[in-house]
Amino acid sequence: MPHQCTTCGRTFPDGSKEMLSGCPDCGGNKFQFKPAGATEDPSADEADQASGSPAGPSGSAVDPSDRTPPAPADEPAPDESAADRRPSESADETPNEAAASADSASEADGTEQIADRSDEDTAQASARSEVVSPDELDRASRDVEPADAPPAEEEPQPGIDALRDELNDQFESIRIVSPGQYELNLMELYDRQEYIISLQEDGRYVIEMPDAWGIQDE
Amino acid sequence: MGLLTNLRDSISRVTDGLFAADEPKRIGIYGPPNAGKTTLANRIARDWTGDAVGPESHIPHETRRARRKENVEIERNGRTVTIDIVDTPGVTTKVDYKEFLDHDMEKDDAVRRSREATEGVAEAMHWLREDVDGVIYVLDSTTDPFTQVNTMLIGIIESQDLPALILANKTDLPGSDVQQIANAFPQHETIPLSALEGDNMDEVYTKIAEYFG
Repeated sequence: MPHQCTTCGRTFPDGSKEMLSGCPDCGGNKFQFKPAGATEDPSADEADQASGSPAGPSGSAVDPSDRTPPAPADEPAPDESAADRRPSESADETPNEAAASADSASEADGTEQIADRSDEDTAQASARSEVVSPDELDRASRDVEPADAPPAEEEPQPGIDALRDELNDQFESIRIVSPGQYELNLMELYDRQEYIISLQEDGRYVIEMPDAWGIQDE
Repeated sequence: MGLLTNLRDSISRVTDGLFAADEPKRIGIYGPPNAGKTTLANRIARDWTGDAVGPESHIPHETRRARRKENVEIERNGRTVTIDIVDTPGVTTKVDYKEFLDHDMEKDDAVRRSREATEGVAEAMHWLREDVDGVIYVLDSTTDPFTQVNTMLIGIIESQDLPALILANKTDLPGSDVQQIANAFPQHETIPLSALEGDNMDEVYTKIAEYFG
């Protein structure tokens, strides 16, 4: 029971959406987080039920249907996919959670560390139970960079090829083949009301807006 | 909105009419890169004002920003024609920094020149649409005039009903073929000249006064 309402004591499984709009029983909006301990004891479930009941009268009344379903079995490595999606956030959060876990664990007694592990995915469990190593952090940040970074050495900014393609699609009067190589559609340039004042290194344009009164007057 | 636009058009027509006699015509010097546009602009400016317009170079795209020389007074047959000369960057459909590398240029400089040249073409096209009253179209008479750029630009100039003078430049060079230029654009008068040597400039000024006066 990772989360517990501080008013009525109702507990919620990790990832529960119920508590997002307040405790359904008492409407309380303050919860305490009771992290899972590092204990890998498979009999933790029963122990949790037993030790959890004194903590709050409705503590054991969690409907299993309310629980967030565990990560699907066909998702091989949920922690990796999470890292891919939000590289910086996961890198930031992990140590915090781990630190929180360490703090809480040091305050809590042994029985409170025991958790129902069946409805917790492995990424959350491991993040909570152990501190990520600096090596792992480093590896995670390095794994992500090559995916976004362009192969060209002269363009350090990520996604510049995609940006260029996008701009070329939107703005066909000047096609940037590569830095320093351009193809121009003269008719488009002539027909456009906008006047391209300057091209930026990253493929952006600065244009003078059409119909800007007085801007031609010198 | 339509009313406002009409009102605006009316006002601009009235003001155009009021100032038409006083304001000098703005004549754009257009053409492909390295045709001698700046050399011609400098020649005209020096002959009639004593100043130059901008630096000339054998390297293409030396002029990457339109430069203007105002109030150039040209005297022909006892009357004076005042024009503003706009020297525009050479118009082209492709700009590649690699062509500058042959001119002893570092890659960074070549890339920057290429970007500026592209901006210059955009500017030249914009001026052609918005801001010129007549065009002097300069062609290198030693090269083939049947190019996409020349055809397109002459077509635009004709569609705008702008008075246009076609100059076959570089007659001082051995490969010069003025007739080829004249054949390419038979609907326009073609005047041979060497802007560099100043050959046949008298006829050029006479035609400028005639076309743009």
